[in-house]
Amino acid sequence: MANQEAVERPTTTEGRDAGRGRARLHTTPRGPRTSRARKVLAGVVLAVVCLLMLSPVLWTAFSVIKPTNVAFLNPPVYRFEPTLDAFVNLWQTTNFYQYLINTLVVAVISTAVALVIGLPAAYALSRSPGWVSVVLLVAALVFRALPRTAVVLPMYEISRSLGIYDTTLALALALVAINQPFSIWLLRNFFAAVPREIDEAAMLDGCTRLSMLRLVIIPLMGPGIITAGLFMFLFAFQEYLTAVILTDVSSATVPVFIATQLGQTLPLLQQAGAASLLLTAPVFLFAFVAQKYLIAGLNAGSVKG
Amino acid sequence: MRRREYAYLVAPSVLVMFGLLVIPLVRTIQWSFERVRYGQPGTFVGLDNYRDAVTDPRFLSAVSFTVAVTVAVVTVLVVGGYLLAVLVNGLVRVRPLVLGLLLVSYVVPGLIGATMFSWLFNDNFGGVVNQLISALGLPEVLWFTSTWANRALVAASVVWSLVPFSMMVILAGLQGVPKELLEAARMDGAGTLRTHWSVIAPSIRGVLGFVTLISIMDVLRLFDQLIPLSPQAVQIGNESLVLYIYNRAFLDGGQQLGLGSAMNVLLILLIVVMLLPFIRDTAREGRS
Repeated sequence: MANQEAVERPTTTEGRDAGRGRARLHTTPRGPRTSRARKVLAGVVLAVVCLLMLSPVLWTAFSVIKPTNVAFLNPPVYRFEPTLDAFVNLWQTTNFYQYLINTLVVAVISTAVALVIGLPAAYALSRSPGWVSVVLLVAALVFRALPRTAVVLPMYEISRSLGIYDTTLALALALVAINQPFSIWLLRNFFAAVPREIDEAAMLDGCTRLSMLRLVIIPLMGPGIITAGLFMFLFAFQEYLTAVILTDVSSATVPVFIATQLGQTLPLLQQAGAASLLLTAPVFLFAFVAQKYLIAGLNAGSVKG
Repeated sequence: MRRREYAYLVAPSVLVMFGLLVIPLVRTIQWSFERVRYGQPGTFVGLDNYRDAVTDPRFLSAVSFTVAVTVAVVTVLVVGGYLLAVLVNGLVRVRPLVLGLLLVSYVVPGLIGATMFSWLFNDNFGGVVNQLISALGLPEVLWFTSTWANRALVAASVVWSLVPFSMMVILAGLQGVPKELLEAARMDGAGTLRTHWSVIAPSIRGVLGFVTLISIMDVLRLFDQLIPLSPQAVQIGNESLVLYIYNRAFLDGGQQLGLGSAMNVLLILLIVVMLLPFIRDTAREGRS
């Protein structure tokens, strides 16, 4: 990956200067004490930033584990008997698990389809410059920037007339359309990093274009595909506007559910808080696991795109 | 690559883009010239919808609100993302932990993140921020009903959800800055600020451009955050373009679908104009 290469680049210069560069990197001209003070300062600043960035989640968690009658008192109560009632109520009185399943199904289907469709196209674009490729790339860029309403409002009508309104299928199809342009954009940059000589060698060995793609290139692209897949999944998982227009009750997603809870009474709001946390927990894990790939993808995307 | 192979490889993607994006877009353009609502055939009215749109004060206020939020938020995203990236770049062992923590607000769905964000400020939920403000002896802030306070709240929430993204991209860029360059700057006696301003920032210009591009796209279609953060958006003039289009064209049974579609078309034009430099670059790159 490009960023690893940069990290591992030798810091020393060659010849008789060898080693001197490295030594200088570790001791700043200001001396070790200021350098340590700076490090501590940077650490404190970062710790405060992290705390601030997490504060909405922490405050929600704090409110959700309070008993309902004191959950939203003003000024807030800081001494209470922690309870998981809100989670139990959420599970028992709402269709939360159904919304959660809908969200996951839609995200998984749309990610898989967008990848299967996007991979060959991105490969073709990376190997064969020409006006068709230019048009496709510019189209992908413009489609990425499009206001959702411009395509989703007509999709509402189309899905009604096809009889697929309020189905996970309709929502997944819409998300494939909306997210696929970006997958082409991302994947193309990863393909561009695979040397063409590999294609040629495989072709000489008797591979067809498709089998070469499947057996040689795609395995080489592993991290790139994971990155693109993670982004597609994330975007589908987060989508609210498309879901609120194309679904009603039976295939609503978690963001749609939470939006409908917003105007409700306090116990329901506490449930919405519990729902938010239940969705944040896996996402939290996701952030830790995925950071490496996300950064690699952003790197590739920004260098080329 | 032979032409036939190329066609096979791009065909599925082209079909999907055509069938699922171009056809709906054509529909939007067609509607923008009609008086139409869902479930009924429209009647052609020429440019009436466009005239109505550009003379509609609510539309113009949505345009200026959206553009102003975009400019302000994108500036903060680039500067704040840069500062954060520099701080994180100095870490070694705890870097994955810090990155993971910082990423949370980016990976949480926008509407849910904004809901949690709103609870910090809402007096009906303990109002912890207002408690802090009054403890400091400052005047009370009406986060949800005063126009400017609400704008600040919305902007803060959008920054909160997007700054991890700009930080990550810039961090990736920083890792690609050649060490020799930093060394040379140090030898020439450049201080920290000077090194950032005249050496590092210019050498990651492409990355900063990419962050700006993606951030503009994401903030221009502001919608999710306003649902929990600005329940009175219409009354206090904090309606974004997409929210206005949604309210007009969809919420009341799509009674103003034609007008909403005309606004969609205008918004697309605005976006394409803002993207022109990037489109030119992409075209140039696709040819090589």
